[in-house]
Formats: sequence, C-alpha cells, structure tokens
Amino acid sequence: MGSAIGAQYVFTTEEDRIAYSDHYSADETSHQPLGAVAPATVEEVQAIIRIANEHKVPLWTISRGKNFGYGGSAPVVKGSIVLDLSRMKKIEVDAENGTVLVEPGVSFFDLFDFIQEHKLPLWLSVPGNSWGSVAGNALDRGVGYTTYGDHAARICGLEVVLPDGDLVRTGMGAMSGSPNWQLYKPGYGPSWDTMFCQSNFGVVTKLGLWLMPEPESVLGFDIDVDKPEDLGWLIDTLAPLRRQGIIQQSPSIGNWLRAAATLTLRDEWVEPGKPLTESVITAIRKKFNIGWWGVAVRWYGPLEINEATSRVVEKAFAGKPVMAMRPTRWVKGDAPEGSPATGVPVTYPLANANWFGGRGGHVSYSPVLPVNGALALDQYRRTSALYAEYGMDYHPSFAIGERHMTNVNQLLFNRDDPDMMKRVDSFMRALVKDATAKRYAEYRTHIDYMDLIADTFDFNNHALRRLNERVKDALDPNGILSPGKSGIWPANRREKRS
Amino acid sequence: MTLFQARNARLALFAAAAMLGLSACGGAGTGNAPSPAGGKQQANAGANAMQDRSYKSDAEKLFVEKCAMCHRDFGMGTVVLARRVEKGQEWLEKRTDLQADFVKTAARAGIGNMPRITRSDVSDAQLDAIAAYLEKAGRK
Repeated sequence: MGSAIGAQYVFTTEEDRIAYSDHYSADETSHQPLGAVAPATVEEVQAIIRIANEHKVPLWTISRGKNFGYGGSAPVVKGSIVLDLSRMKKIEVDAENGTVLVEPGVSFFDLFDFIQEHKLPLWLSVPGNSWGSVAGNALDRGVGYTTYGDHAARICGLEVVLPDGDLVRTGMGAMSGSPNWQLYKPGYGPSWDTMFCQSNFGVVTKLGLWLMPEPESVLGFDIDVDKPEDLGWLIDTLAPLRRQGIIQQSPSIGNWLRAAATLTLRDEWVEPGKPLTESVITAIRKKFNIGWWGVAVRWYGPLEINEATSRVVEKAFAGKPVMAMRPTRWVKGDAPEGSPATGVPVTYPLANANWFGGRGGHVSYSPVLPVNGALALDQYRRTSALYAEYGMDYHPSFAIGERHMTNVNQLLFNRDDPDMMKRVDSFMRALVKDATAKRYAEYRTHIDYMDLIADTFDFNNHALRRLNERVKDALDPNGILSPGKSGIWPANRREKRS
Repeated sequence: MTLFQARNARLALFAAAAMLGLSACGGAGTGNAPSPAGGKQQANAGANAMQDRSYKSDAEKLFVEKCAMCHRDFGMGTVVLARRVEKGQEWLEKRTDLQADFVKTAARAGIGNMPRITRSDVSDAQLDAIAAYLEKAGRK
C-alpha cells in the first residue's frame, strides 16, 4: 500500500488502530481495524482497491469518520483496513445553478468556509454534528434543518470506484463532459445514485449536491408545550402543514432532555444512579424555561410569502394549549442568524455526551413511523417505559417528514459506569424488538446492530437481503468492500452474520 | 441565572434548531404567551452568534480548519470545558497553561469527551504547528 499512496499515508501503529476504533464503545477492541490508508486521489483509491483484491483484504470505507453514535470510523469486521477518504477535499461550486461537487473529505465547516470566502449566495443544510463529511452524511441519509434537510434527496450525480477498480459516473455524468451532471438526477435508463447510499457496492469519490439559494427571509416559530401528552395534538397540527408543503423543512420535536443534556450536568440535579423524577424534571425545565417538548419550525423565501405562511401556521395553532409560541424572524441584511436553521455548521449538540459528567457517549435508536399523533403518543409511552425499565434517561425526538416521521432516540451513557454500559446492548435489543412488533424499522443504525436491523426486513423470507447479496456478489466477488455494512455480507463472509 | 448559565441557555437555543430542536430558553423569549404567537415578532435570539473563523497566521489558519469547530465559541469542546476549568480558560487560544506536548497527547489519545484525532485528519507536522500556536496564543 505504501508504494501505491506513500508510506506516510499508511497508518498501522497501535495508536492509529485505537484512533480508528469506535470511541463511544464500551469495548473499543471489538471493532478495531488493522490500520488505515488515506488516499488523496481517485487513482490512489483504485490502486488500493486493486491491492485489496489481490490479497483479499477487507476495506472499510469512511469519508471523515465522524459518524458518532453509529460507530465513528470503526469497521463492522474487526481487523479490516479503514479506507479513510478524509484527505480528499476538493470543492467545485456552480454558484449560478446552486450545486456543489464535493470529495468525501470535505466537512460542513470546510464547505461553509469556502462559501463565505467566495461570498457565494448559497446556504448549507447541516446536521447536529457538522464536523463530519458532507458527502458521507448524505450517503448515510443524514438530515438537516432547512428545506434541503433530506440530504440524500438532494444528491445529484456521483463518481464511484467499483469493487473491481472500475470508475463510473452516475446520471448525466455518464456522458463525458456533460454540463448537466449536477442538474438532472435520473440520467438515462436505471438511476444508480441511491444504490450507493448506506451500501457497500462502491467507493464514492465525488458527490453532487444541490444547495439552497440564499433566501430573502427566514420566519418561523419556536413552540413549547407543557405536558408529555401534548405530543399528540402537536404532531397532528403540524402534519397537514408539512404534507401540504406549507412547512417544507422537517420540524424536529424534542423532549426537555434534548435541550437539558447540553445545558447542564445530571449530577447537579440528582444522585448518580437515581432516576429522574417528575419533580427533578420540573425543576430543570423551570430553571431553563423549556417545555416538556419543544420544536422549531421555519419557512424560507420572499418575505411577503413567509409572512403569509406565518399567519397560516398561527391560525392552525389557534386555540391549542401551547406553553409558548415565539415568532422568529431573519431578513436579508440582518446580522447572521448563526444557527443550523440558517445553515450555519455547529458541534455544540455533541455536548450531550457530557450529560453524566465523565466520558460519555451514545448510540441512536431511530424507528420510522407514520405521521400520526396517536401513534406517536403510543410510541412515547412504550419507549419511555423501556427507558425506565433499563434505568436510562429518555431522550427522544420526532422529526416530521412529508409522509413519515423519524423517531430518533439517543441512548446517552456514561462510559465510566460499567453497570450502565452492560445494560446498553440488551436495552437496544429490547427497543428494536418493541418497534419490530409494531412493524416499524430503523432508518440507520450503529455498526453493532446492522445485522439485527437488516433481519427485521423480512418480507418473503428476507427477499431484500437476497437481492442485496446477489448485487454484492456480482460487483464484489472477493468481498473486499465494507463487509457487513447495513447487514450486507459478501459470499466469502456470510457465516460472519450475527 | 448566573452569566455562565445564561450563556449556556443561549447555546441551547441553537441546540433547538440543531439535533436538539428545542427552542426557548433565556430571556429572549416572550414568556408564556396567552394565545398562539401572542408575543411580538422579534429577531431570533441567536442573531449574530456566528463562530469567528478568522485567522492571522498559517498556524492559526490550521487551528481554525482543524480545531475551531469545537474549540472556538459555540463549540462542543468550549461548552464542556467551561464546566471544568477556570472562567475564560475554556477557550484553548486563551489558555495560559498549555504545553505543546500536552496538546499533542490530548489530540492523539483523546481526552474526556474529545475523540482521538487521526493522522490522516491532522498530520504530525500539522499537529506540531497547532500545538506550538496554542502554547503561545494565550500568553501573548
């Protein structure tokens, strides 16, 4: 590998191996790689792929490896070599058309700095941890908070190294020199972009993405409600507005702990190991003036349209028992608003890992539900009961899409509490079992649970798995690319499935 | 609320829009509105809260590229360190006690909630430059 990309970009010391492990894990050795290689060009990626095929060595592709809560930079298969694309940092913006072509090493901060430096009238959609890769986040179906928040849906054209080293461009990029690569998604014949999302069918080396033209204004409301039961009517009030496109971003309703976990430390309120009682929750909420649930809703565009939207949304909430409903307003020419609502990258939400004061972490449990208040309330009741049963602090959110709802729950834990760490795995499995009984599946999961979640897709005796594996075997006969990703195993490793 | 808590409450307001989605903290809100949107329209409480991404030297530029997202204002590292160190010392660039070797060890080994920084993300030479910058930055 050293001769292919330079010895200084082959990382095989013990320190390197530890650096690429899952730093949120109770047992970091369980997914420790053998080392990492960090190519800077597509030709170097191809050279690495050829060597991996010769030696039948499994690679694990990461863009920047900041996918905390889902495994970070660590592979499913211990002893894999991490194919780290973080040195690939090219950015090509088409300002007129509002598109960008990024390499996988480009972080949200990198792209933000580039846009600021060139004074381009374009806004990002950023996730809660913007340290990560723009391309990697979109490929893993990450989300943001503007109308461009469904990142995978804004992908337009990929460049991919296939497992045999062949290089393809999808969509209009399949025509060399096409000016339409980042403009028209389908291309001609079958469309392949989504095939490379959450998969192990290729190494994406360039990703086209649409960016939001800077709007004239952003208006909205910050809404708090006082009681857990208010979740039902809150969702049923927002759902029609979202379905009709009056609200075009995905409002994410979070509970009090979602805010509190970044604001304060648990130990300031209750003895370690003791549950959070209603009186403790009330005291925390009172101190920081937060609802039991809270949600930020925003609309983007010309001021006159946005002001009309505000009136429509206000009317929809007329007579509803809100705790607080605060109008928000940013108009072009105002000082920068400075939050993810206007596409400004952040990392402070990661501070929730410090909830227990010591070395913290989390894994996410994220089932998809229909958008329905009664179903959400039922989900809240069942899930919070399981959190209580396992002695964990309930940290949910419900993000409302056009037709679905993603219920992201953080399992916050303290890595310095061995008893708690022992409970995490059985708790996660209990949550998945509970969702599966309702026929809800997760949209994304940690490397420990990729087989568990793949197993829940059981129609016709797991026909989807058979399809995925037939594709895997056709493209990657030596099984070198990210074995086990999303529960997809190559023929030579299928016995590894857990 | 102390000044420190008020500042944190302001951060949670951003958290609102981020993965935290919650809004509403601190004195910027209109309080408990009797009816929906009962308060008057206002600028967002987070206005003008952008992180300073400027730099004056190559070493500072590297710090901004590689570290500032967590270690300037509104960064995860700054928020968490504010709970542990003397007031004002949560900003690494204002620290008066940082040794270059400590910076390098913290980056490579991780510390507290900070993950380990790989050599692909920040090369040894880059880390040397950043560590030297931080050792001096707060002592000017």
